[in-house]
Amino acid sequence: MVTQTVKCPTCKTTMTISGEPGEKIQLACPECHQKGIYRIPGEKTSETLSSQPATIEVSGLTKTYNHVPVVNNVSFRVNKGEIFGFLGPNGAGKTTTIKAMLDLIHADAGAITINGIDVRTQGKEAKKYVGYMPEKVAFYDNLTALQNLCFYAEIKHVSKEECIGLIEEFGLGETGKKRVGKFSKGMVQRLGMARAILGNPPILILDEPSGGLDPRGVVLIRDKILDMKKKGTTIFVSSHILGEIQEICDRVGIINKGVLVAQDSVEGLSKKLNLKPQITVSIDKMSPSIENAVKKLPGVESVLAKGNTLEIICDGAMKAKVILAITDAGGNIQNLQTKEPSLEEVFMRYTEA
Amino acid sequence: MQTNVVYSIAKKEIMDNIRNKWIILVAAMFAILTLVVSYFGSLGTSGWQNLGNTISGMTELGSFLISIVAFMLGYAAIIGEIERGSMSSLLSLSANRFEIVVGKWLGLGAVLCFTIFVGYGFAGILIAINVSNVDILEYLVFIGLTMIFGLVFLTVALFFSTMFSKRSTALGGAIFLWFLFNIILPIVFVGLLATTIDFTQITMETTLKAPDWYFVLNLFNPISVYSTLITITIAPVQSSTGSGFIPNPSWYSSSLLLGVLVSWIIVFFILAVWRFQRKDI
Repeated sequence: MVTQTVKCPTCKTTMTISGEPGEKIQLACPECHQKGIYRIPGEKTSETLSSQPATIEVSGLTKTYNHVPVVNNVSFRVNKGEIFGFLGPNGAGKTTTIKAMLDLIHADAGAITINGIDVRTQGKEAKKYVGYMPEKVAFYDNLTALQNLCFYAEIKHVSKEECIGLIEEFGLGETGKKRVGKFSKGMVQRLGMARAILGNPPILILDEPSGGLDPRGVVLIRDKILDMKKKGTTIFVSSHILGEIQEICDRVGIINKGVLVAQDSVEGLSKKLNLKPQITVSIDKMSPSIENAVKKLPGVESVLAKGNTLEIICDGAMKAKVILAITDAGGNIQNLQTKEPSLEEVFMRYTEA
Repeated sequence: MQTNVVYSIAKKEIMDNIRNKWIILVAAMFAILTLVVSYFGSLGTSGWQNLGNTISGMTELGSFLISIVAFMLGYAAIIGEIERGSMSSLLSLSANRFEIVVGKWLGLGAVLCFTIFVGYGFAGILIAINVSNVDILEYLVFIGLTMIFGLVFLTVALFFSTMFSKRSTALGGAIFLWFLFNIILPIVFVGLLATTIDFTQITMETTLKAPDWYFVLNLFNPISVYSTLITITIAPVQSSTGSGFIPNPSWYSSSLLLGVLVSWIIVFFILAVWRFQRKDI
């Protein structure tokens, strides 16, 4: 466990946080109420990961349709309390994997356990721990939001009061007697999230939870996911919104053409691909000597001068040397920003033909 | 099997059908048609008919209507939910496939039985007011047997709903089966019977003694079974229709025919569960 002090970027209020290296923590400033996500520096080591209990474990999962493998020997584990992002292009096998995890489809080979319970032989028992939001959220069109939610609540032994609370929380309190068939897609999606978290399940499986939502809805769902994580919920989320995944996920798995091509933290995957961060330095007065001084540094991959700004691709550890080289060459640094390799770059590299 | 899961699913099916006013519509249709049959039961007659004539007419009409109503109620029960996407959410809960089929069958069965009871019951009250010597018990037995007949078609529809991978195909299959039982099979069976008959020996007064295989074949058509069951079980119908052009064999009994209808339900229910257990959602 690491304890750190961070400053609110808006009002500079100091906050103390603690967590595991690599963990992402949602923060809300007590003064200005600005919300944000802070990642504790460092990475989870493989020893740490393997010592943690796996909440979801998939090994050797294979599913074929008409002799064509849609998911081929996919293995991964999702540890207790983490958010695991599951990415892949359309038709890569994401939804098939999720469906197999919930025993909605019959896998041809492989083992899937949820909380150590075999889904294929004890599906009913395993699914007691799961809340699921499918890609295509659907309800019973003739029933109201409350009637729909109460139906699922009865099966889960959850009270009607909790259903009412969730409907309010997801901004559907005004819908009253309106049938779900007359809801907008965004409203159905929000109700879908409410259904998934009904009864506070220890595991959440979300397939494209933000699909069809307006920005406000996206934020609502994202905050809810982080809120559930705070409560210790293990979250498996598949999404096309890479920025969102990068922001909230502890680790990601990338599936392409039915094969899991990578799984690690975004930082870990960037390292494996040798992707380097971009340092953007604003200088009061740019000169060719400054640019050359930086270019000459060993470990600097590229330097691009744009007006009074230098965009430098280099190892993260080179930052101090870059600053020194610029100041030695007579440059006065006005501003410096480091941009870590994006998940988009990682994703594109892993899924390119 | 968890009873709360079955109960919740059955209750949802009933609520869903109440909300779309399906129950009210079909019950009203049954009541109106029954009253029409009761009042204009026989050709060349008008006014309230006796119970035998009424039930006889209702059996003919009911076999067409109830089979189609049961099919409409059940053909999309499973595949409709799969296509819409709500089945995956239902199965992600701690509900197994057997419980879902049982819950749906009970819920839809309750809707069907309720519409038959209300529709026929309402008409029955009006008939009892207007016709003397109505045997209420016989009428209730008729309603009960009609419910069982409806459940046969509901169960077959439920099986179709698990068998096909598209709602439209399931609907097509149900329509084909409706034609098969209501039109094709009776024509084929009578056609086969006709090949064994010497028509030169037949007069208007002749009653035909059909071979046993004809009656065995008819056991494979629930509509024939239902209509024969009503004829030999409900006394007023028996007395008003007589033995008919082709008298039933002595081995046809109420318990046999009822057993056949119940067997249809059991067999197709097992098939529906078996098929749904193997289905990818």
